[in-house]
Amino acid sequence: MGVGPHGKKKYMSRILTVASSEFLTLIRTKAFLIGVFLMPVFIGAAMVMQKTMMERPDTERREFAVIDHTGVLYEPLARAAEARNRAVVSADGTVRAGAFVPSKVDAAGRPIEDVRLELSDRIRREELFAFIEIPAAVLERGSRAELRYHSNHPAHDDLPRWLEATIGREIVQRRFEAASLDRNMVDALTRTPDVDSLGLLERSDQGAIKEAAQVDRLRTFAIPVSFMMMMFLLVMSSSPQLLNSVIEEKMSRISEVLVASVTPFQLMMGKLLGSVGVSLVLAVIYLAGGYGLARYWGYGTVLTPGLIASFFFYLVLAVLLFGSMFIAIGAACTDLKDAQNMMTPAMILVMFPVFTWAAVIRAPESGLALGASFFPFSTPFIMLLRIALQPAPPIWQIILSTVLVGATVVFAVWAAGRIFRAGLLMYGKAATPREMLRWVFQRA
Amino acid sequence: MTIDQAIRIREVTKRFGAVIAVNRLSLEVPTGSIYGFIGPNGSGKTTTIRMILNILLPDEGEIEVLGSRETRAARDRVGYLPEERGLYKKMPVRRLLRYYGRLKGRPGPEVDRTSERWLRSLGLDAWADKKIEALSKGMAQKVQFIASVVADPALVILDEPFSGLDPVNAEVLKDAVLTLRREGKTIVFSTHDMATAERMCDRIFMIFKGQKVLDGSLEEIQARYGADTVRVRIDGGAPVLARMTDVESVNDYGRLQEVRLRGNAQQFLARLSTETAVHHFEVCRPSLHDIFVRIAKPDPQDEQPEFVGV
Repeated sequence: MGVGPHGKKKYMSRILTVASSEFLTLIRTKAFLIGVFLMPVFIGAAMVMQKTMMERPDTERREFAVIDHTGVLYEPLARAAEARNRAVVSADGTVRAGAFVPSKVDAAGRPIEDVRLELSDRIRREELFAFIEIPAAVLERGSRAELRYHSNHPAHDDLPRWLEATIGREIVQRRFEAASLDRNMVDALTRTPDVDSLGLLERSDQGAIKEAAQVDRLRTFAIPVSFMMMMFLLVMSSSPQLLNSVIEEKMSRISEVLVASVTPFQLMMGKLLGSVGVSLVLAVIYLAGGYGLARYWGYGTVLTPGLIASFFFYLVLAVLLFGSMFIAIGAACTDLKDAQNMMTPAMILVMFPVFTWAAVIRAPESGLALGASFFPFSTPFIMLLRIALQPAPPIWQIILSTVLVGATVVFAVWAAGRIFRAGLLMYGKAATPREMLRWVFQRA
Repeated sequence: MTIDQAIRIREVTKRFGAVIAVNRLSLEVPTGSIYGFIGPNGSGKTTTIRMILNILLPDEGEIEVLGSRETRAARDRVGYLPEERGLYKKMPVRRLLRYYGRLKGRPGPEVDRTSERWLRSLGLDAWADKKIEALSKGMAQKVQFIASVVADPALVILDEPFSGLDPVNAEVLKDAVLTLRREGKTIVFSTHDMATAERMCDRIFMIFKGQKVLDGSLEEIQARYGADTVRVRIDGGAPVLARMTDVESVNDYGRLQEVRLRGNAQQFLARLSTETAVHHFEVCRPSLHDIFVRIAKPDPQDEQPEFVGV
């Protein structure tokens, strides 16, 4: 039983035995099931919510009181409300929004505080939805007087927004008239051009110049970010499980039985591969769902084979990297409490791309973006993000970062194997980071 | 090829930092025997077992298991039951046994057949698809035993297989161990239960403070420690014995006293009968329990344990 081809085959088959057991155990866990079902549930819920929100607008009738200190703004406001209430009713009689019904309040020499209190009480008794007070000064040129809107529904903003726009328009109109200016003329003179964000022109195969496509915010932003987030979810729902698995085996002395049958390295590799398998299965499920969703919204072509290949490539690297890290932590701890302490620095590494992605999107060639691309623990996430973004990063960056993260993965697996072997049979107390380092570098 | 010695340990030393866990230990376990490992907690039993299993490597010396010096090569033919636990709580019994068997390189269907047979003979067949956590402690212990033999090993190492079992289950497991021996397998088990070791083991090995202090058949060991112990029932009881000069120690059981002598039993009887009325006088071999306690009892005068090689 030397290290012939037969021995090698046997060596691998034990790793696969461990991997398949680990895989079967992991996909039976609640975390996995939640991972599988939650994603479609979220997507489905988002779609249903969006649909119902559009189909079921707020059709509640909103009665509100107006204290008009200017004495001239109530009438136009009431007219505008009537016009609006007519406009929200479609030709077929369906109501798209609730009516706004103003009523004028005459302060009639009473102290204004009393009037405000009385109106507040009426709102509390639900006789009114809100009231607005228009100060006399608002008509003055450059006035900073504010419209006072009172309501006990702070989250509702249809009515206050409409009031602000409507009253504001009327006030501006009156100021123009007071200044003897033609409003249309001012509008025409002060109109500035908008920026239309476009891609680059290219020459088609026939030699004609192809018009540049309009830049699509969804394509440039949402797709890369959701790809990165999806990978983050996958890594988070597979690698930390390894820590639990190792601790469980250690606490119940299963590790002893296992290393009496296979080498610690076989055991660890089996666990890692099982975890990679779980993340790949989840990835296929997520991608299939994501593809369906992308097609539903008309972005089916965004998921190019190259992007999907990069996704799987970086996913495997990330799971191997973080998986070996969590295995090493598990082997160095003796119970879950130890593990939680050791988890914190590990989680900061995992979270690193989440802190940096926004900056990377804004400036994919900045120093920070480059640093994050070459920092092995964030390379898989950030490079995937940058590859999905336009323009793709230069090829040398892709190669260099891949070499760096590849070397780190090899080192991490090797080091975790050493820590795993030393820590597996250690009971009673958790290893310090210093001890773990010593385990890594001591001679066998 | 049959090998005379299932395990051959030569001059093995294992240190953990400054602590010497096992000190120049030599041991031979004959093929087909039941070998009992005894010794106080922390004396080096588990370390020795782990070295035999290749979980730990010795610092010095040589270990040969099933004729192979490369202990890793032999481990597919060695079964192991760790002390307590060692089972996945959430895994169903059959799947767990299949996993453990396949880790030893056995094909799944073959493992299933073997585990089926053992589950039946240990009365667990109705529980094959239950999760481990649903099993009682005794049942789990029996599953653990099956896990150690499911790959049909030539050598089975059981760490405290009988601890925590009720008498019925202990009996069932004892029969299972004897079945293994009839099949020609070698069995090593460690135990704190001296009565079990006395009744079941062909040979007994005791380790104390990392060193071998006993190794041989029960008869050989008792012959070494024998003849100096008598059991008496006399008028006056223990206080009378305490006055006598050739008494080494007295173990007072109330109605009976067990006396360890410095000299000859016959001369002691002659002297004792001049002192008091003797109702019962029996020259006996010390139990393994007594020998164990004698060796392992903390003795400030004599730090070095006695060595009795056979």
